[in-house]
Amino acid sequence: MDLDSFFVSCERRENPELNNIPLIIGGSSRRGVVASCSYEARYFGVRSAMPMRYALQLCPDAKVIKGDMELYSNCSHDVTEILAEEAPLMEKASIDEFYIDTTGLDRYFGCYKWTSELASRVMKETGLPISFGLSVNKTVAKIATGEGKPVGKLEVRPEKVRPFLDPLSIRKIPMLGKASYQTLARLGVRRIKTLAEMPAEMMQRLMGKNGLSLWKKANALDDSPIVPYSERKSISTERTFQKDSIDTKKLKAILTAMAEKVAYQLRSESRLCCVVTVKIRYSNFDTQTQQCRIPYTSCDHVIIEKAHELFDKLYKRRMLIRLIGIRLSGFVRGVHQIDLFDDTPKMIALYQALDQIKGRYGAMSVRRAVGI
Amino acid sequence: MKFTVSTSALIKQVQIVSGVISNNTVIPILQDFLFELAGDRLTISASDLETSISSTITVNMEREGRVAIPSKIFNDIIKILAEQPITIEVEEQTLAVTIQTQNGIYKLAAESAEEFPPRQQMDGDDNIDLDLDVMTLAINKTLFAASNDELRPQMTGIYFDLEESKITFVATDAHKLVKFSHEITNGKSNSFIVPKKAMNLLKNALANAEGGENAKVNIGWGEKNVFFSFDGIKLDSRLIAGTYPDYNTVIPSNNPHLLTVDQADFQSAIKRISIFSSRSTYQVILDIQGEVLRLSAQDLDFSNEAHETMSCEYEGENMQIAFNARYLLELLNSVGSSQVHLKLSHPSRACLVVPANDNSSGELVMLVMPLMINT
Repeated sequence: MDLDSFFVSCERRENPELNNIPLIIGGSSRRGVVASCSYEARYFGVRSAMPMRYALQLCPDAKVIKGDMELYSNCSHDVTEILAEEAPLMEKASIDEFYIDTTGLDRYFGCYKWTSELASRVMKETGLPISFGLSVNKTVAKIATGEGKPVGKLEVRPEKVRPFLDPLSIRKIPMLGKASYQTLARLGVRRIKTLAEMPAEMMQRLMGKNGLSLWKKANALDDSPIVPYSERKSISTERTFQKDSIDTKKLKAILTAMAEKVAYQLRSESRLCCVVTVKIRYSNFDTQTQQCRIPYTSCDHVIIEKAHELFDKLYKRRMLIRLIGIRLSGFVRGVHQIDLFDDTPKMIALYQALDQIKGRYGAMSVRRAVGI
Repeated sequence: MKFTVSTSALIKQVQIVSGVISNNTVIPILQDFLFELAGDRLTISASDLETSISSTITVNMEREGRVAIPSKIFNDIIKILAEQPITIEVEEQTLAVTIQTQNGIYKLAAESAEEFPPRQQMDGDDNIDLDLDVMTLAINKTLFAASNDELRPQMTGIYFDLEESKITFVATDAHKLVKFSHEITNGKSNSFIVPKKAMNLLKNALANAEGGENAKVNIGWGEKNVFFSFDGIKLDSRLIAGTYPDYNTVIPSNNPHLLTVDQADFQSAIKRISIFSSRSTYQVILDIQGEVLRLSAQDLDFSNEAHETMSCEYEGENMQIAFNARYLLELLNSVGSSQVHLKLSHPSRACLVVPANDNSSGELVMLVMPLMINT
């Protein structure tokens, strides 16, 4: 199941005036990209992940809204709750995509009928349009969902899988991007049927491991199970600048603010991390990362210091920087073990007080002055 | 060199010294035992350059000598020989070793003793005598608390803090700390940090030593090394350089809330509860409400959860405090008293663990830092 133009639908639910006009959600600055757009905007050729400037050239009258991630995640949560309550086995693949295993329901309700009723319930209770595709495995179901949109209900029975897939463009296969498409198109492979009929070894030679998995998908072979809950492996944040910068003092201040933010997130989830990664992208799109292992921690001051150290190691060329990011990974669940010598009672009290304020008034309510 | 000795006497000595030999030595000869026979005194030594240990016994001497014998093979054969007198002979010219038992002959090749690195020279002449029992007790009480963190080398040893009338042993890994003090009469003031490995060897050797009322350990020290000698054993070790963290300032002096529990009950409760705690932090929560102590733990990743209540005596404010169960268990293991006092002040400050009925020959203070729980 997939929520149709999810960000747009959320905005429209909050503000009905936005109905029936071309709407684009994404960064409005010179460098913003389209995060989501309404079907009206798609008519003009606007697609998600397109640079905002280009999108506005295609559709100058579109209304541009800056995304409100909190609203979207709340909406997503509402939907998740309904699905989790109804479905026997559910996997949340992203903020607006869900896989449900309906095995067994056919005997009592009929899968199609059950899923239709579920979709109606979601739409009725949350006001968000949702599409579904019902088929033999996750890959075909996902393609079917995409084909059915908007507010689609598509069932592809086992015997109908081949006639359904064969005439479709290979672009519809999940995980097949622009580069792979071009490689294949150059060979004259444009339809799924052609791809499916190619020898598997040839695909493997052509594109390696990825080629084999694409070939499997084209042949509707996908035995990946529905995984009910997948734990988060990392927390990260990054920022692209309005204008490329070389001001290391400013860059470090931004790094500090970002580290502070992710460390708080870590603490509020009662987790500790042991890997810190810093990423920079130069103005020529050269992207470099550096990471290091540290003893398990969730303390701002440790992570900030480590991030600065990594940044110093990373930033070697006197070139403008376009993007800077930080990622924490290597999680275990747990809280900070207080150190006898490094942690003073004052500092512990400070952390507790800060986290209490942040818990009540939001993560951005108290910050280090350098990061503002 | 030629002598006769009983296997049991030899095994004991070999076991004491073999602990120092590490698997990947800097120079190959450090894989050997050094045998020195002079008069009827046989001295077996081993070293890893940082630490050296030797043990002396009386044997039946026929010919004196000095030689280095490969430790692994020698250890392996001695260990499994039945109790009997054996004769060991080393040809000075060929360095061939012959071990003769009642019905067997075992031969191996030795190396020249000249290549064996000489022992460290004591660079000071300060020394004191300490009761052997006290030394044993001090190591047993403190050693577990020393750190393994190579980034903070000072904490990887036991700190000896000597005063005129008192000797104090401290070990900590920054999360738990143990301090054991004992009154002495003829002290000298000084302090040094002895590596964990040397303390472990000493502990092992002390366990084998002939105790008794008046048995003493002589401790000598200089700028860079420390020497222990007792009962035919001599152990020397390089000291850990650097300043030991100021342990006195972190030991709270007035923790007002006093929790008294039965050591065995408390320990087994924590053992049970900790099975259900998170594998990474071993977090157990102590919720103290009046006379009732609630223990709980959970592991969200596996949906494990455990709760227990036990009675206790408590004077102080109701409190919820979290600890790493492994640290608590280590301390409780070492407390050596049927009743334990836990002295608390605040959920984010150190908790003192002290024996309630102290009948040992020294003063023991242990503390553990809590985990920072979100309140």
